Amino acid sequence: MEEFQTGEETTFVVDEISTIIKESVEGAIGGNAYQHSRVNQWSSNVVEQCLSQLTKLGKPFKYIVTCIIMQKNGAGLQTASSCFWDNSTDGSCTVRWENKSMYCIVSVFGLAL
Amino acid sequence: MSDVAKDKAARLLKKRGSVSSLSSHEVKAKETIGKTKDSMSTVSYIDEPGQQDDNPRPAVQMENTYQLGPAKRFPVATVNNILKDVLTSYLQEEKYEAELCRQMTKTICEVIKARVKDLMIPRYKIIVLINIGQLNEQNMRIGSRCLWDPTNDTFSSYTFKNTSLFAVANVYAAYFE
Repeated sequence: MEEFQTGEETTFVVDEISTIIKESVEGAIGGNAYQHSRVNQWSSNVVEQCLSQLTKLGKPFKYIVTCIIMQKNGAGLQTASSCFWDNSTDGSCTVRWENKSMYCIVSVFGLAL
Repeated sequence: MSDVAKDKAARLLKKRGSVSSLSSHEVKAKETIGKTKDSMSTVSYIDEPGQQDDNPRPAVQMENTYQLGPAKRFPVATVNNILKDVLTSYLQEEKYEAELCRQMTKTICEVIKARVKDLMIPRYKIIVLINIGQLNEQNMRIGSRCLWDPTNDTFSSYTFKNTSLFAVANVYAAYFE
């Protein structure tokens, strides 16, 4: 079961991306409890930090980063995504993060150029 | 490490060159090592094969088209209407139930993707994202940022609400240069 990385690294590497996402989320909302007034800013921070780290990778990719922050209140949430792309070069990665008062779900979709 | 095995299985599936993949985010109860007790994060990456080719397609060498921009632009208004139609028709009378909504998200996702593909916009890659949640006096913020070419790429979004649930549908379209 060899990885099928080409020499030019134009494939989407899930592990690398998931590490980046986890660090961005921790950095942006790490030890905080849910506060309605700050959620807007947190969501922007998480997404912008993710995106700037992804650009630093320097790969020829277009990125779409989505962030959902939800207060823990017993409600349920279902998410699904369907993508029409080139399976050999494009990919997606989703990280679910939670603490005592909220959930944060970050999805990154990478489309090769 | 079932995670690693699942990743490799997902990559093997992708190797078969299918153009459509459907993924849903399942809950995994695995704590990562070294985290504090306050927060926990899990990575979920599950691919369910949609329509797959039986024979893997050979890699295609593409020639330059010397085309600078898309011949036909992405029709945002039409896609907005598609989203509105699909969400209202599927969810108008439904109540939130975990199992039902799980199937519903996947179905709606595939339906929307099929209808957008029917528009036959050439050289555009499509990503459809659906969130269905329960209304329970909680708050939620959904945000997204994209790193792309704003002259050619765009997105379309629609939110539907009834007495017991809400649904958010996002369609992103990226021009394939």
